[in-house]
Amino acid sequence: MIQVKVKVYRFNPENDQQKPRFETYTVEADPKDKVLDLLHRIKWEQDGTLAFRRSCAHGICGSCAMKINGANMLACEANLKNFKDPTNIIVEPLQSLPIIKDLVVDLKDFFKKYEIVKPYLINKTPPPTKERFQSPEDRQLIDEATWCIQCASCSTSCPSNWKNPNFLGPAALLKSYRYNFDSRDEGTAERIHVLDTNDGVWRCHTIFNCVEACPKDINITWHISQLKKKLVSREY
Amino acid sequence: MRYVKHYGTWGYILHRLSGLALTGYILIHIYLVSGLHNRPAWQSEMEIFRHPLLVVLEWCLFSVVVYHALNGLRIFIIDYFNGARYQKQLLSAVLVLSVILFAAMGAVMFI
Repeated sequence: MIQVKVKVYRFNPENDQQKPRFETYTVEADPKDKVLDLLHRIKWEQDGTLAFRRSCAHGICGSCAMKINGANMLACEANLKNFKDPTNIIVEPLQSLPIIKDLVVDLKDFFKKYEIVKPYLINKTPPPTKERFQSPEDRQLIDEATWCIQCASCSTSCPSNWKNPNFLGPAALLKSYRYNFDSRDEGTAERIHVLDTNDGVWRCHTIFNCVEACPKDINITWHISQLKKKLVSREY
Repeated sequence: MRYVKHYGTWGYILHRLSGLALTGYILIHIYLVSGLHNRPAWQSEMEIFRHPLLVVLEWCLFSVVVYHALNGLRIFIIDYFNGARYQKQLLSAVLVLSVILFAAMGAVMFI
């Protein structure tokens, strides 16, 4: 067992007296523990007022995305033994989103951007009696883009997004790829105009923070580059 | 709020800084050259730029040009040729090539 010093960002916007601050907790942990385990121990045993989101604790739901030691990741996948110094952990909320309390951020804006790219199948032909068929090759084309768990790690790690909150962001653009490159979809003409703006794909400066942050190892920048290619090769 | 700087992030930061440096340079360059309307004026101005310190600065300017140009090529490959899949290797290639060309230019200028 090791003693871990966990510095946690604390802020409650409803309490005017308290400014954002860091609070340090000392937790006994196994070197194989995840940061989420530490947060649980703090909340259950030391300070019940700490607020953070989590659900599955197995890297599927994407609720516990937060900034740990300066980089976005899922707390449930952040294994202590993978840190250079596992005895000093700093936990902050996802950057650039409004804070509801402590590590809980307001994802309203994040999901609004999702809606803007129309993340659903658009197909004007009447539904067939069975499903709409897709070849394995066509499915392969969108496979990686379907791994996304919408944890918001990518969009909140993107410097273009910090600077310009109107930028659609990597998550929404990845979703846009997923439908625009779906062989069953016919909605590209409806979707493409929001991509071809200052706040669409052209705001991506290929910094690759999103790729580093993605807990599902999706190469988001590659998908955005395919959208860029699609835009410039349009025929009128 | 600080965020970890990954390898690709440094490529971006260097690209932006070199871009800013080049913008600053071109403005100074245009300003200095715009007033030189005849050969003696031009030659006396160029005499100033033979100062060793300014020659070294010129060499540094070359490194900025080379990095910005090569990384521009990297971004082009990322956007058009699946370069996003091997951006780190591309950045390493850009840095190595930049250093080689910088050294080569140093040899041409000073030896």
